[in-house]
Amino acid sequence: MIKHLIALFAGSPAKRPVKATQFLLVILLSLTLPAWASEPRELDWPALIPEGAPVTPPQLAPLHDMSQLSNALSAESAPPARQQAPDAPVVKGLDGQQVKLPGYIVPLEVSEEGRTTEFLLVPYYGACIHVPPPPSNQIVHIFSEMGVRVEDLYQPYWIEGKMQVRASSSELADAGYQMEAEKIYAYELR
Amino acid sequence: MYLLRLALASLANRRFTAFLTAFAIALSVCLLLAVERVRTEARASFASTISGTDLIVGARSGSVNLLLYSVFRIGNATNNIRWDSFQHYAQDPRVKWAIPISLGDSHRGYRVMGTTADYFSHYQYGRRQHLELSQGREFASDPFEVVLGAEVAEALHYKLGDKLVLAHGVAAISLVKHDDKPFTVVGVLKRTGTPVDRTLHISLGGMEAIHIDWHNGVPARGAGRISAEQARAMDLQPAAITAFMLGLNSKIATFSLQREINEYRSEPLLAILPGVALQELWSLMGTAEQALFVVSLFVVLTGLIGMLTAILTSLNERRREMAILRSVGARPWHIAGLLVLEALSLAAVGIVAGLGLLYAGIALAQGYVQANYGLYLPLALPSAHEWTLLAIILGAALLMGSVPAWRAYRQSLADGLSIHL
Repeated sequence: MIKHLIALFAGSPAKRPVKATQFLLVILLSLTLPAWASEPRELDWPALIPEGAPVTPPQLAPLHDMSQLSNALSAESAPPARQQAPDAPVVKGLDGQQVKLPGYIVPLEVSEEGRTTEFLLVPYYGACIHVPPPPSNQIVHIFSEMGVRVEDLYQPYWIEGKMQVRASSSELADAGYQMEAEKIYAYELR
Repeated sequence: MYLLRLALASLANRRFTAFLTAFAIALSVCLLLAVERVRTEARASFASTISGTDLIVGARSGSVNLLLYSVFRIGNATNNIRWDSFQHYAQDPRVKWAIPISLGDSHRGYRVMGTTADYFSHYQYGRRQHLELSQGREFASDPFEVVLGAEVAEALHYKLGDKLVLAHGVAAISLVKHDDKPFTVVGVLKRTGTPVDRTLHISLGGMEAIHIDWHNGVPARGAGRISAEQARAMDLQPAAITAFMLGLNSKIATFSLQREINEYRSEPLLAILPGVALQELWSLMGTAEQALFVVSLFVVLTGLIGMLTAILTSLNERRREMAILRSVGARPWHIAGLLVLEALSLAAVGIVAGLGLLYAGIALAQGYVQANYGLYLPLALPSAHEWTLLAIILGAALLMGSVPAWRAYRQSLADGLSIHL
């Protein structure tokens, strides 16, 4: 067959135009040729494991056991930076007062329009991890009907509204300040 | 009014150029609006995916990374965390609820999430909405039960009682499947418009069961194999999970608990506030969004300049037209008005056609985009922001139209009537 093909090609160039039938023949041949080449053996992944390989018994100990790590870590003796006074005393006299307070917004709830409707107001943005987080009387939990579009976490805002003071009712550390914001606007340097 | 009619008639006379000009404007308007819509919808869908969760805890990586894999099923976890760590914080008095999640497997490109029934009762999306079942029930004690997200059920045509096989890894076409342990569909969730729709939910025990004989990194063979029946009888308490979500009793405690988790001595953990991580993600994406917006603005500008060029070049050919109008009594401001109206009507037609293109495009691509990118593009009326953009385009067209108008205004009556050689 290959001889035939060579003859076909050798005979054809320049001497005479290749006939359409010969072209067809070549195309047909080239289509059928791959079928003659030896078919590659199709493998699946288990076929790569030899037949007689010892079967490893299922090992049921947890794969991810970091208990050793915890021993290693306990050598580091400094206690974690705890929140200063989680039940820090609050100024009860502020309850019900109309106030205006500047601070940084830490978003808790973001509406579909991208407006922050619930957030924590803090005196500094919590990027500093060297010191403990602010005590509970330095955080105000704020709700806002309208919401505020926070483009930049590092932008301080003025918040105006009526302060609510919740005294600690239990050990759950839910003492703190809450506010329903009426006005929110950017804090500018004067 | 007659001026407008005249302008339209004149445009109709040059309808091919006018059509091309309006079409160029339509395309640019369509592009601008599409970019805006995708941008706002992407933000909205990201923002509405998680609500009411105070902290997300996972292995130490980055806050955006943790948010993406735990909530949006984008990317993969770097490591698992211990079940003990989850237990430790789930029992903390400040914690109201805790949802463990375990990821890493998939079914035909849809991610599988191992969790507990707490997920259905505490996970919230949108405006504090809870997940609801559209049919069936939550998975119960049998490990091989699966609850489908709305889109999984719809796209793959699953109904209650169907059996399906989960695949190892998260590729769309998986070569390694957990085919010895098929799962039964017991419930389908209502559509939420969030990645929940594209998730298959199984119990943590189910997640543990499909991997129970995988301890050598490959499915076990022969005697090492543990059948579904054997697995059912075994203790399927997971030793590790991928992440967990926490709801707190008091939001004020968020920072202190976050810090405590980050400094947990038994295991390196990372706790993030979803709102803050989302904000960080947006500031990352903001630059790309801005760039896209600026590019589409320039495309609109190019369309409008194309219109200006077309009108300006036509001015020369239309000297005779203008002169005839002047000779029958039109004042110079009539001529100027004519050209401004021409520009305005071209832009208006362009805008309307652009809107038409946009809505046709959305209607056509809606299903595909939702299925492939999880982004729902509503066929809603243009928002206030979009109307503003359209008004600005019209204003710009008016401004552009005044250039040829000014030139025509200045041309004298004699200009078009006398023969130039």
